[in-house]
Amino acid sequence: MNILEVEKLKTYFFTEAGVVKALDDISFSIPKGSTLGLVGESGSGKTVTAQSVLRIVPKPGKIVGGSIFFEGEDLLPKKEGEMRKFRGKKISLIFQDPTSSLNPLFTIGEQLGDIVVQHMKLKKSEAKEWVIKTLKLAKLPDPENAIHSYPHQFSGGMKQRICIARALLLSPKLLFADEPTTNLDVTIQAQIIALLKDLQRDLGMTLVMITHDMGIVADMCKWVVVLYAGNVMEIGPIDKIFEEPHPYTEALLKAIPRLDQTKELVFIPGNIPNLIDPPSGCKFHPRCQYAKEICKEKIPSLEDIGDGHFVSCHRWKELNNRG
Amino acid sequence: MGLAKYVVRRIIYMIPLVIGISIVSFFVMYAAGDPIQIATMGNPSITEAQRQFLRNYYGLNDPIPVQYLRWLDHFIHGDFGMSLYGGKPVNQIIGSLFWETSKLQLFSIILAFIIAIPAGVYSAVKQRSVTDYSVTSVSIFGISMPVFWFGIVLILIFSYHLGLLPSAGAHGAPSLWPVFGIRDPFLDELAHLILPATVLIFAGLAWHVRLLRAGMLEVLRQDYIMAARASGISERKILYKYALKNAITPLITLLGLEIGLMIGGAPVTEFVFSWPGLGRAYVTAVSKLDFPLIMGITMIITIMVLIANLITDLAYAWIDPKVRLE
Repeated sequence: MNILEVEKLKTYFFTEAGVVKALDDISFSIPKGSTLGLVGESGSGKTVTAQSVLRIVPKPGKIVGGSIFFEGEDLLPKKEGEMRKFRGKKISLIFQDPTSSLNPLFTIGEQLGDIVVQHMKLKKSEAKEWVIKTLKLAKLPDPENAIHSYPHQFSGGMKQRICIARALLLSPKLLFADEPTTNLDVTIQAQIIALLKDLQRDLGMTLVMITHDMGIVADMCKWVVVLYAGNVMEIGPIDKIFEEPHPYTEALLKAIPRLDQTKELVFIPGNIPNLIDPPSGCKFHPRCQYAKEICKEKIPSLEDIGDGHFVSCHRWKELNNRG
Repeated sequence: MGLAKYVVRRIIYMIPLVIGISIVSFFVMYAAGDPIQIATMGNPSITEAQRQFLRNYYGLNDPIPVQYLRWLDHFIHGDFGMSLYGGKPVNQIIGSLFWETSKLQLFSIILAFIIAIPAGVYSAVKQRSVTDYSVTSVSIFGISMPVFWFGIVLILIFSYHLGLLPSAGAHGAPSLWPVFGIRDPFLDELAHLILPATVLIFAGLAWHVRLLRAGMLEVLRQDYIMAARASGISERKILYKYALKNAITPLITLLGLEIGLMIGGAPVTEFVFSWPGLGRAYVTAVSKLDFPLIMGITMIITIMVLIANLITDLAYAWIDPKVRLE
């Protein structure tokens, strides 16, 4: 049973320089109760995917096509007022930077309490108890005093716990965590990852980890979706992805620094392409070490290669001695 | 630090400032000319001896520092002396004009602020829409029109041709009320306010709207706004609670300046509408070198600016928890 099914989703940004195809026809689904890794370089469309599901894509961005089924219901035709009942209640989002995602001029209690009041129509005092309870769940020390404090009075790690609590206030079924550890110290990163793992298990949520850190993916996720330049490159269970990866995923995996490494760091040559005027054929071909003539000419389709593994590559079968 | 302690300290700091400004104004004024000469210019039969008598009477023959100290002594006791014209005490002149000017100015400033909030928020949300461009055009139109011209046009239309609103003064004689269909003093005052207030609001509105629009555009891009949206908070609450509080600081600064400067702020409007206000009295006093009145109004303006500054700083601290009062 899938909690989320994204089909042929297209989200474009209509900028003055031209149309940026941030998500260009992407499809994937998320099994209920699982942890899925949404992987890709900066600019690959990970964050826009989460924003599209919540329908909060900032201007000049717009969802121009496709469908998003959440528990079988298509979210795209919904009216704004109806959609608001999903945001924060059934689907939540944790932001990359806890500092900028908390309003500096309002106390924690005010910001989080408003969300509870908005969805639950509770009294302020009841909402306050609710907020304290959720802050405890996110292991924020001394939540009774924390609700009277302002964001700048907390450290980065504490702020991220507050943001996690904000996302969990109404026990959402689906939680997007958008690089929740990128802006934190390494020691704090491990704590936040452990917290998210515990919460996912205890609350039975479906968790989408948006990250470019393959280490976190290997540690947390059962399923992986690999995005590149607004296209899905690969979808599959974690072991298959590590065993027989798409050439792009392979390049990402090789770029993980290792402790026993004696040679120079490996990186993927080139940059993510300009999405206003993307390369023809497979968008990864200019940077792919296996690229051939066909990769420049024809856009590959996402092919089912068994065991829930899907790959979008002309040469994958040949490279992995299949077929 | 306690709020009361902070306020008391700030008020104590004002004392040397007020004295400093009074010294500068006093000496600059004396460099401007001889008031008795100006006052008696229209009278060819006056003799030099009579002029000397007047100078002695007003103490203008003493050394300037002595005159200043005498003025300061009276000022500390709350006495601004006698006007050189009409023989009325300056306190009495200022007292009656102060209220009329404050009424007109506060009414306009507050109304401009109230109009600017939805206009600024809306034109930021609907950036580059027809509404945005209309709001911008109207406010730029307001700021570019010369006040005297716009005032005269309003008088021509609403007073002369349509006969709807009074064109001069702050009050009408009760015998005139039926002309405009007015029955009580409050409505009469309101009717007199409308035209001059319209001129002042139009002149100031553009600043408010542009400042708020720019602030809102900046704030609406922030992560915390998207986070509020992602949490299902209603759009009205996001705009008018979470975004507005972050965007309103420049507007508070402007408001503080306007309230501080309002006393001498609108002489042209006061002239056009014959408003019995301090702005008009100030300009007249300067042209006649009516020393006691100039000093009186200057001191009132100084104190108003300093108090408005203090209130602005308190407002910052109230809005932003990171601002410390010290």
